[in-house]
Formats: sequence, C-alpha cells, structure tokens
Amino acid sequence: MIELIENCISKFGEGYVEMRGHSRKVFSVTVKDGQVERITRGLNRGVCSRILIDGSWGFSSTTIINKQNLLRLLKDADSLAKSSKPVKKRSVKIAPVKPHIDKYETSMKRDPRKEELEILVEDVLEADNEAHGYSKNVVSTSISLSVIDDELYFVNSEGARIRQRIVRCFGGASVIAKSNGKIASAYESIGGQTGLEIFEETPIREAALEAAKRAVRIAPKRVVPGGYYNVVLENRIVGLLAHEAVGHTAEADLVYGGSFLSNKVGRKIASEMITLVDDGLLPSGFGTMKYDDEGTPTGRTVIIDKGVVKGFMHSRETASQFGVTPTGNARAWSFEFDPIIRMRNTYIEHGDWTLEELIEDVKEGYFLRGGGGGQADFNGEFMFTIQEAVKIENGELKESYRGAAISGNAFEVLNKFKGVGKDFAMRVGICGKEQPNYVGIGGPSLNTELLVGGS
Amino acid sequence: MIGLIEAAEYAVKECERLGADEAEGFTQKQRTVEIVLERGEIQNERTKTQQGIGIRVIKDKKLGFAFASTLNQQVVQETCRDAFKLAGVSPENPDWVSLPPPRKIPPVPEGLYDDELASLTPDEVLGMVIGGYEAVKGVDPRVSIDDGKLSIFSTEVAISNSHRISLEGKGTAASFFLVCVAKEGGETSSFAYEYEVSRTLRGFSTEKVGELAAKKALMSLGARRVEPFRGEVLLSPDVAAEVLFGPVVSSVNADNVQRGRSLWADMIGENVSNRNLTVSDDGLLPYGLGSSPFDAEGVPSQKTLLIDNGILRNFLYDSYTANKADTESTGNAARNSYSSLPSISISNLLIEPGTKSFDDLVSEIDRGIIINRFSGSVRVESGEFSGVAKQASYVENGEVKFPLKETMISGNAFDSLRKIVEIGRDRRATMTSVYTPPILVKDINIVSK
Repeated sequence: MIELIENCISKFGEGYVEMRGHSRKVFSVTVKDGQVERITRGLNRGVCSRILIDGSWGFSSTTIINKQNLLRLLKDADSLAKSSKPVKKRSVKIAPVKPHIDKYETSMKRDPRKEELEILVEDVLEADNEAHGYSKNVVSTSISLSVIDDELYFVNSEGARIRQRIVRCFGGASVIAKSNGKIASAYESIGGQTGLEIFEETPIREAALEAAKRAVRIAPKRVVPGGYYNVVLENRIVGLLAHEAVGHTAEADLVYGGSFLSNKVGRKIASEMITLVDDGLLPSGFGTMKYDDEGTPTGRTVIIDKGVVKGFMHSRETASQFGVTPTGNARAWSFEFDPIIRMRNTYIEHGDWTLEELIEDVKEGYFLRGGGGGQADFNGEFMFTIQEAVKIENGELKESYRGAAISGNAFEVLNKFKGVGKDFAMRVGICGKEQPNYVGIGGPSLNTELLVGGS
Repeated sequence: MIGLIEAAEYAVKECERLGADEAEGFTQKQRTVEIVLERGEIQNERTKTQQGIGIRVIKDKKLGFAFASTLNQQVVQETCRDAFKLAGVSPENPDWVSLPPPRKIPPVPEGLYDDELASLTPDEVLGMVIGGYEAVKGVDPRVSIDDGKLSIFSTEVAISNSHRISLEGKGTAASFFLVCVAKEGGETSSFAYEYEVSRTLRGFSTEKVGELAAKKALMSLGARRVEPFRGEVLLSPDVAAEVLFGPVVSSVNADNVQRGRSLWADMIGENVSNRNLTVSDDGLLPYGLGSSPFDAEGVPSQKTLLIDNGILRNFLYDSYTANKADTESTGNAARNSYSSLPSISISNLLIEPGTKSFDDLVSEIDRGIIINRFSGSVRVESGEFSGVAKQASYVENGEVKFPLKETMISGNAFDSLRKIVEIGRDRRATMTSVYTPPILVKDINIVSK
C-alpha cells in the first residue's frame, strides 16, 4: 500500500500534502453466560489525504484503494481546503518537523500473526466459568478478549515515510450480581500494547473473578451517601483523574480555546508531590507510538513538574501557534479522521506513601475503587464514575457501598492532594474527543477531596 | 467491485458451498460529509466513503462472524472462509434455532430518504454550518462556540440469507450540534449543548441550533450553589432520554430479560411506572431517526407497545431471542455497521406526551431544579444514576431563581418512573432516537458541597 501512496503523493504538486494508509485487523471473542456470543475476525483498510493550502486544511478518506481513486482523494482534499478557506478565521501554519524515514513495531514476545487466535476462546470460556462459579448470586457475565493489529503508513510531501505496526491486546469482564431483588454490575479490564503474552501475565479470568467479587459484594449494598469528602483513590482509577481533570486542559487546542491552564505556564498550581506526564514512549502503554499521525516523533511530555506547569501537548499546528516544538500528540482513530491533539499515556508519578498510610490519614471519608467513564469541560470541570466506595473512619476501612459519579474542578482538586502513594499502576482506556482513541492512564493511589454524587 | 445485494447474495452462496448450514451477508455503503467546529473555528471538513460486508455463518449450531471493508469477489471469498473457520472453533449453542425466514415487508415509511440531502455538496454543507455559527454570534458577543459538528449521512444497505431473504434499503440523515460557552468578567458559564437531528432537510435549521445554544449559555451565567436538598427535578428531553429511558431500554431488551439482567423479567402485566406513562417502540414512524421497513436481519419493522399507562406489556426481540422465547421477533435487530453482529436495539422509542408546556411544568415546582444536560453515569441494569447537573437552574415556588454550579443529582430511574409528577407536552427527537417531552420527577437527591 505504501508504494502506491508514495507514487500518488509524488504526482501532486501544491501545498503541504500528507497521506496515511491504515489497515486494521481485528480479532475478538465475547462470551456471555457460558455461550460464545460472538467470535469475529475482520479487516478494515483505507487511505486518507490531508492537504494544507494557503493556511486551510482539507481532508478526505476512502476504503476504495486504487491509483485512480487515490488521485481523486487528493483532488477532493485539495478542493475542500480551497473552498473552506474564505470562512476560516485563522490561517494555519505548521511547525517544522524533520521528515523521518523509519519503521516501528510494538515490542512483542508472542506475535498474534504467528499464532492461532482461536485458542483465546478457551481463555474467555474459562474466565466466564470462574465468574459464574464464584457465587450463585452472579446472574450474568459478558467477557471478551480482543486483538487489534494496526499497520500505519505515513507519507508526506516533505519526504517523510514511516511504517508503524501497533498491536494491542486487551479484554474486559462485566459481571452482574443479584441480591434480594437488587442488581449490581462491576467491570474490570486488562490489556496493553503488547503481544499475546499479556493474556498470560494478566489472565482475563483474574479480572473476571475480581469483577464477580465486587458485583457480589456491592449487590446488597446501598449507594454511597452523597457529599464532599476526603477520599483515597485506588491506583487503578487515579489515571481517570490525571486524564479527565488535568490532561484534557493541557491539550494545546483546548489551551488555545482558553482552558484553565492557558496562562499558567511556570506557575505552581498543585502540591509539590504532583508530577504529571503524558508519555508517548511508555513501554507497553496503550497509547504508545514512536511517531504520531503527523509523522512527529513522540516522547515524554511533562505537563506538571512538582506542582509547576511546564507545558502542553501539541500538534504541528498548535506548536506553530504557540511557538514551541511539536510533542507528537496529533493522533487519528483511523484513516477516516484527521489527526487532532490527543493524550497518549497520561499518568501521575508515584510518591512514597503506602496505601495503608494514605487511608490512615483520613479521619472520615471513602476509599474509592473500580473505574468507569468520565468527561471533562475545558474550564476544569470533570466527572468520572467509580464502582465501589469503602467507608473510612479514623483511618480504618469499614463497610462497602455502591459507587457513584464523582466530580470536581481541576484547579481545586490539584491543591487538595495530601499524599501520593508508591503503588503505581497503568490501565487501558478509550477516550472520546470528537473521535475515539486508545490511551493509557495511570498513577499511584492518592489522597484528596472530591464531591461524590451519591444518594 | 460488485454491488451491495450481489455481494451479500454471493457471500451466502459461497458460505453454503463451504458447507455452512445457514449464512447471512450484510453489506453497507455510506457517504459522510462532516464539518467540525472547534474553539469557534471551522477546524475541518471531511468527506468519507466507506463500505463493507459482515458475514454470519452457522454450522452445527455454531456461529462465526467476519467482516471486511472491501467488496470484491476475492475479499468476500476470504471473509466467508474466515467466518466459516471461526464457526468451526466456536462451541455449539444449543439455543440456536435459525436465521429468520422471509416475511412480508411493509411499505417504506415516508421521509427516510431525502434526495436533496443526499446530493448536498461539501460547499453547501459548509454554508449550513456558517449559518449556525453566525446565529451564535448574532445572539450576544459574550458567547463563543466550544465545539460542534455537522454530519450528513447517506447510507445504503443490503441483506441476504439462506432462507431467501434478499432486501435492499437506503436512508439519509443529518445531525448538527453545538456546545457554547458564555464568558463575563472572568466567569465562564457551564457548557451549553444544543442539537438537531433529522432524516431529511425538512425543518432542519442550523440557525435555530445556534440561537438556542447561545441563549442557553447566557442563561447559565451568574451561577450559584445551593445547599444539598431532596426535591423535584425537571428533566429536559435529553436528560430524560438518558437518565429515565436508558434503564427502560435496557430492561425491555429480551436478551437482558433472558440473561437475568433485567429487573422487569417477570413483570409483564404489572405496574412499572406512574400510570400516565405510555411508551412504545415504532420502527415505522414517518421521518423517524430509527425507522426502516425491515431490521438488520431482514425482519419487518413494527410498532410495539412497551408500557401502557404504567403497565409493562412487551419486550423487544431479535430473531435469536424470539426463537429462544418461542415468540416472534419484533424487528428490533440493529447493527452499528457491517463490522458488528446484530443485537437488540430500540428503533424509535416514543413517549406519549402530556398536556403541559415547559413553563407550566416549571410553575408546578415547589422546590427543585431544571436540568438541561447530564454529565454522569446511568447504570442501566440497576437504574442508579449519578452525575453533574449541567445547564441547571434552581426553582422555588414555581419560579426560576438562578443558575446552578457544582451540583450533582443522584437517584434510581426505576423509583423515578414511579415518581413522575408530570409529563410535558412538547416531544422532541433526541440523538438516541428516544422521542420524549420534558418530564418532572420528584424526590431526587441534589448534592452539592
């Protein structure tokens, strides 16, 4: 595919031109209640072109890949760029990036292309069995494993020519439990940018068992009482805070729109315990890629260093606007989307408290466990869902409650950190910002204050 | 390259040749024009063409599925082989009966395809966005656009299966949303969301969206907190669709019923809500967002009464769950695209409107809040909802007092369905194909600092 793309791009003269080719192989198995609900294999392939002429972008994509159609694609993008020019307020410029000619492939011990993926059916059935076997109160399960094998080609008119193969293996277990006519659900996930070895290292049956235990535990319980509390966030959900509360407001397109971080570079906005990073090269990170979808090399981008705002996440376009170097944060979900500023692997660095110490420090509050979805507005208002809240009284864990949504304002929460744990953990996530994308989220358990939207 | 129905029929024959007991080919072609607004600027304009095939194969009650984004003979052949191979490794499903047989398909409802919409040029689409954009600016200089998107879709599908179902259909849709924010003296309002979604250009106005979004943003300036309390909440159609009807949709889904995931599993004929609530699913609604003469398995669409004056009457079935329950499919199989298997979904969920205007509903509130946007979670199985009340206002003695900030609501949809005070008059199509008026419910927990 890359040769065809290169051949087409060389025939197109005007402006900055880039073309991306994308082939996504999908394998997934879903088991529900002992039955294989679906076992799927699929292939999506397509090409897009993006053209910058006279300060205006045009974009077009197609799944019909032949020379004639790709040349038409370029022409479409070109005419879109030209026709939308008069209504665009701002003339776009892009910061320089050295054109790279390179290859990258996910580091893997077990390459899914070299194995029969059908064997994964057994793992999922076993996990389902484990979850149902845990308790008679488990009424329904849905457990899946997926392997997404992406090949990405990037070619631009500046001479870049990059091939990347990115493999992601992941899974999820959702379990429903009943108790006296009440119903509760719990969810756990596994995964990373790795080969099939992740399914041995963190077996889906363990996630399924954990989800089963939680669902059974909270099924007879009430929803956590609502209010503003001192809370300890479990390491596995701290990434949601890093991503939703802070990460989005450090995306340069949102900063440009006036996010709450916009005039705070160099200023101390959080406790010295807090260092927050978006890392494009984190080993096995779900959002890791050597080059972003504009051909910019990625790296470790420090957003907050010991409480002080250091910088933002950039595309070539925003780097030019801000007069800085692109950070490699321009990512596209597929060939059907233009790259926009996205996080890669966003995390808070570890501190030196043990989980026990974090909990002991709370006089009255909750230990929040198990993550769900979240949202953020660029003014710093964020929310995310937690599955379970365990009451803390005088530093001791008491009874469990069902979870709820929690919310806060980033600049308030950042000042309320009391302790940061040493138990760092990364998780996988899918973030939606106009288009979805795979991201890594992580951090250690920590202690702060938040509004819990309970009963 | 081959046509949609030819590709679907070819796939069925090819799978049968490989030894399948039954097979189904579903093909889809979609053209999209999208314009994305970000930070008040036209960020991008894109055109997409996509097509593909999803193939379902059954062999000895074992199911396999494969898809591909290319419709030539060789790729379809390979995809058939993949699906057939997967069926081979899948364990037998003793509940499998068969793919649906052909049934009489009703006439195509009016207003599902708009030639004018399908033939819009990117320039014309751009003009529509600018209309919305100018409308925002025309309302007040304090308002700006955070983001927005106009999407124009034109879709064709074809379905073929081993029982001689062979159907083709087409449809169009347009959707536009804007998120606006108002700024004054260092204060940023809560983010105001407004939208329009339609199958045709009839009544589709981007200007109206712009004007409403801007006004909503302005109305939320000067926000204050209230002390936590328990009171009445007036849910806008969007919030009602998500918070109240999300759990309804999940509970009437026959798959959830059969798996013990629905609290309504044994409640047909019983009271599940306030007796003023009547809800049906109508796949044949003229101009309906989820309308089609047949569903994603080729089963005829129909109107199904779900809740009749508070009494639960029916569940929604696809052919698999219908076979399992020894009943007929209600034509509620849906697919996100060719790359997914069919699963049960509402077509258009219709909530019977009441008689009171929005202002009448407000005037009935002793102490409560109005909520226009909900940023939170709804656990559809248990009915628990919890989240931030955005674009919310505080109401006392029937009067709107002030906009709210940092306020959350929490409750249980199944309780709230019984605690409906009043159903409004003005029904609206929401982005999720739920057609509902605003709904006033009582006894909701309002949480704040």
